[in-house]
Amino acid sequence: MNQLIPPPHAVELSLFWTWMGDDGICRTKAKPLAEITLKEAMENSLAVTNMFKDKKFPLLVDARSVKSMEKEARKYFSTNGRATRINSMAIMVKSPLSRVIGNFFMGLNKPLIPARLFDDENMAVEWLKKQVQ
Amino acid sequence: MQDNLNDNNSDRVKEILDVIMSYARFDFSKKTVVRGNDTLDAIGAGVNMLGEELESSTVSLKEKEQLLKEIHHRVKNNLQIVSSLLNLQSENILDKRYLDLIIESRNRINSMALVHEMLYSSKDLSKIEMGEYVQRLSIGIQSSLLKNDANIKFHYNLQHDLYFDIDHMIPLGLILNEIISNSYKYAFPENTGRIDIEMSKTDKHYLLVVKDNGIGLKPNFDVKRDSNLGMQLIYMLTEQLDGKVGLDSVLGVAYEITFPL
Repeated sequence: MNQLIPPPHAVELSLFWTWMGDDGICRTKAKPLAEITLKEAMENSLAVTNMFKDKKFPLLVDARSVKSMEKEARKYFSTNGRATRINSMAIMVKSPLSRVIGNFFMGLNKPLIPARLFDDENMAVEWLKKQVQ
Repeated sequence: MQDNLNDNNSDRVKEILDVIMSYARFDFSKKTVVRGNDTLDAIGAGVNMLGEELESSTVSLKEKEQLLKEIHHRVKNNLQIVSSLLNLQSENILDKRYLDLIIESRNRINSMALVHEMLYSSKDLSKIEMGEYVQRLSIGIQSSLLKNDANIKFHYNLQHDLYFDIDHMIPLGLILNEIISNSYKYAFPENTGRIDIEMSKTDKHYLLVVKDNGIGLKPNFDVKRDSNLGMQLIYMLTEQLDGKVGLDSVLGVAYEITFPL
């Protein structure tokens, strides 16, 4: 099932839910029609960083319902110029809008860690597992 | 119902085009409205993001231009300070030989300061027009070296639209400064004469001709043996341009400097 459903223990932020999966993959899901600015990007990254225990982990981002993401937010998410606890990032897109935003992020902001766009959650998880290995 | 949809899409496409046209005019205040999740919304969101990136690049480019302008301005000011210091120094010197040396040095500095002055006033900050430079430089040298009751005239034949960057202009300015200064100093014992400056471009080369109708070089003049610092500089700087110097002294002195495009 390609539905990323936040569990009860997920951290709820203004525009995201974030939680650590049993498989060691951190998940973050954007709320419907999220208009992400730098503030929400920083808030989300802090929540993801707080999942860190002893080693870096992969991150699965569900961006399928994002409405917009401003330039500063894209730059921040790219992890350029800042320390991060994640070692790879899979971004899930579906609608034309989320695909454009995802491709823009990948093409112009060039994340420093391995990152790819997916429209299938299972494939995204498989790819993230390989990145850990 | 279908007509309404078409009208609506047509309005949305027009709205996106309006925003694109604003960005083309470097007006980044507009954004398309993303209402839902369809293809037009996706295109609109893409245009918005492109606008953000373009605005950021434009601002950064303008800042760099401003910085470059500031650097040329400061270099020119610093060179003018050195020139003024030499001027002040010359007021206490009575020995004509030392005084001449100071004036020569000052004019060399001024020829470089003029390049920087014209660069920060130019449109693209990277090239200056040769014709304007030659005329301003020669007037500067004239006022610096002019003797009382002298009647030395300049005649220009300069091809329009010859633009050079700083790497060419600094040596060219110094070369011109040396040739004109030599003519002023040695060519006209009667303080009357004419200096012609020509510049043109062929398919492969630029040609700079500077000639005077003065007394010419002494018989059996040998460049290697008899040249002063000014003449040595002319040869060295022409080499820097990958060019060649032609020197002729049949009627006065004529220099032909050729260098590749």
